[in-house]
Amino acid sequence: MTRRVFLSSIVLLLVGIGLLPVLSMLIRSMIVDGRFSLAAYQGLLTSRHQWILMEHSMSLSSLVTGLTVLIGVPLGILLVKTDVPFRRFFTALFVIPLLIPSYILAVSWFDLLGNDGLLSHLLGAAATRATTDFLFSLSGCAAVLFSVFLPIPMLLTIIFLRTINPVLEEAGRLVTGWSRIMLGISIPLILPGILLSAMLVFLLSFGEFSVPGFLRYDVFPVESFTQFSAFYNFKAATAAAVPLAAVTLILLVAEAGFLREKTCQIRSAPGSEALTLIELGRYRTPLFVLVATMGWIIVIVPILSLVIQSSGIEAYADAMDRAGDSLLRSILYAAIGATLLTFFGFFTGYLIQTKAVKFWRVIDSLTVFLFALPGTVIGIGLISLWNTKWTNFVYATPLIIILGYIARYTALTSRITVTQLGRISPSMEEAAQVAGAGWFRRIACITVPLARRGLLAAWTVGYIFSLRDTGITMLVYPAGHETLPVRIFTLMANGSPQLIAALCMIMIMAALLPAGMVWLTAGIMPTRKI
Amino acid sequence: MADGRHHADKENLRHLYRLTAPGHVKTQRYKPYDELQMKMVNMDSVVKLYNTTRVLDNIHLVVNEGERLAVLGPSGCGKTTILRLIAGFIAPDSGIISIAGEPVSENGRIIKPPETRGLGMVFQNLALWPHLSVRGNIEFGLKARHQPKDERRRRTREILELVGMAGFEARKPAELSGGQQQRVALARALVLEPGLLLMDEPLSSLDLELNIRLRKEILDLQKKLGFTLVYVTHDRNEAFDIASRIVCMRKGRVEYEGTAEEAEKYFEMTT
Repeated sequence: MTRRVFLSSIVLLLVGIGLLPVLSMLIRSMIVDGRFSLAAYQGLLTSRHQWILMEHSMSLSSLVTGLTVLIGVPLGILLVKTDVPFRRFFTALFVIPLLIPSYILAVSWFDLLGNDGLLSHLLGAAATRATTDFLFSLSGCAAVLFSVFLPIPMLLTIIFLRTINPVLEEAGRLVTGWSRIMLGISIPLILPGILLSAMLVFLLSFGEFSVPGFLRYDVFPVESFTQFSAFYNFKAATAAAVPLAAVTLILLVAEAGFLREKTCQIRSAPGSEALTLIELGRYRTPLFVLVATMGWIIVIVPILSLVIQSSGIEAYADAMDRAGDSLLRSILYAAIGATLLTFFGFFTGYLIQTKAVKFWRVIDSLTVFLFALPGTVIGIGLISLWNTKWTNFVYATPLIIILGYIARYTALTSRITVTQLGRISPSMEEAAQVAGAGWFRRIACITVPLARRGLLAAWTVGYIFSLRDTGITMLVYPAGHETLPVRIFTLMANGSPQLIAALCMIMIMAALLPAGMVWLTAGIMPTRKI
Repeated sequence: MADGRHHADKENLRHLYRLTAPGHVKTQRYKPYDELQMKMVNMDSVVKLYNTTRVLDNIHLVVNEGERLAVLGPSGCGKTTILRLIAGFIAPDSGIISIAGEPVSENGRIIKPPETRGLGMVFQNLALWPHLSVRGNIEFGLKARHQPKDERRRRTREILELVGMAGFEARKPAELSGGQQQRVALARALVLEPGLLLMDEPLSSLDLELNIRLRKEILDLQKKLGFTLVYVTHDRNEAFDIASRIVCMRKGRVEYEGTAEEAEKYFEMTT
């Protein structure tokens, strides 16, 4: 009884924090002068501008999805199944762009290829014009987002390959070579994981606002943000957000129907610690060079361009002077957000894993829906719900930022918990129950200590995603409470390139330090089943 | 069961657990054997479904107090489901389950949750908590019952002596052999003085030699402490060695029920 009441309260809180703002936004956009009206949506189907936005959004998302899956899946296979040198290092390297605010990569490529970029000094004005044209186009936007989202198919390929029982591949090895085994056995087995990664990349690039915003490529999230922040046209902003929510909903319904059962819980196969490696033989060196070159171009070159651009202690001193308080705020809010995300994620994950309430599937779908929704949609929803004179204690304080983090990122910490709890035998909690322990004691003394690695991972993921968040924070931050990503974004209009580069480097450090510490202490390899 | 050979052990037991000591655990007490013929477990018309599959089909099962009952059958016959129903982890879709005369679950509803049933259980995978030491594992239930520290320590020491694991208090489960882990799991279940002990194929992962030795130890402990034992296994020899009565199951139904001697004859005739 206690368990059900507590978990139901968590669900109610999540609905209040995440779903209510979106519903409030929709309802408010349909009321004009106290009457129901769809005037705000009339232009959605008739306006040429809206169709252009749809075309841009779909082209960008499709291109990014195609590229990341095409490169990310083979890369994942190479890094987990073969003897290519420095596999763990490369895995960590390719993940870096996902851990930092995505527009930082756009800034770094602009520092390199833009009008006054590093290449312009080497190649001259004509070449710079070509590279700038490339950057400020669909191709440039897709290239930047490709580097940001490449880790998603790569990591999911790695994770799902680890779930395959090595015996299945060994049975194939008796009759054929590795290439046929991968194509005929392993890849078909991990196909649900690949499709899931494709869907995630599509949704995340569809809802991405900061990179297209910086590179001036008009898509729905940019339109929604512009309508809201530049014109303060709430209804137009909502109308631009509706296609985003609709596409998200359609894809998630498809995911729930076809993929959820196959991808919800990821467990390592027995003996997967000793995964059979493919010996590359004479291809080892060329493939190592290929992976190293990719890592160099996708990750190291952009960061190096920031390092070069920001060189000199003055730039960093200036950055700390102008944004030191934002940095501290960012770390504080991200830490609070991560702690609450771990709390909500743990109990939501527990509820889903143990099917503790009948509507557990609805909760799972709700958290995933909120994660897949673009940050701008959640941001507008939060403002719509909390911007009243009675709720100023939320709207005018950093609490609204924290609520935004919980609304959007609980799915991440919840899924990590589900996976971690899946590794723990239910008899662990049952044994405590037979011993006479109530539910809270069982959770505190048995389940939480056993799931501590997962909780640490959940906290880290929560921290990184809260820290890098731009879409929600940009819209909802109260005056005097802007975070570092928001500060950088606003300074980009009039700050010097050196200052922006230094701020970006500080942002990268703030994101990567805790991730690096967790990497060193806990490792990334899955824990053994208890 | 009420034979005189257990009287000396009963006296030892009283001494061991200081039944009159203040602050002792308020669980079901062991009772003298001359009072033992009440029904410790009564499953009446129990049906359990998983989706549309009838895992248990109209089960009637009585376990008398102080009895050693083995539930024997192949994988998937429903024997572990019986144990989980008695423990209270799941509820029967229909039928009533009573423990010590008190209904604990009926018709899809759990009346008494597992933590209030005062029983002990040894799981198939033992379920020793890997983050806790041997002492931590054993003291856990005593802490849940708010026992003072001195009392916890004393009883942990005594139960570890009883199962031959004294001196291993500080070890983690991963630092123990299979047989030692088995003994710790048994000690953890027995430290709370349960009137009823459930064992779910606890010896299935051990080698034959150790398996036979531990069967004898379990039997000795049951005779010494007098608890009611429900022992689930798929191994006939294990069942014959441990149980005073055997229930054979097949496809969710009780196929045969009788004393160990009768069961032995039955199997000789049917195989």
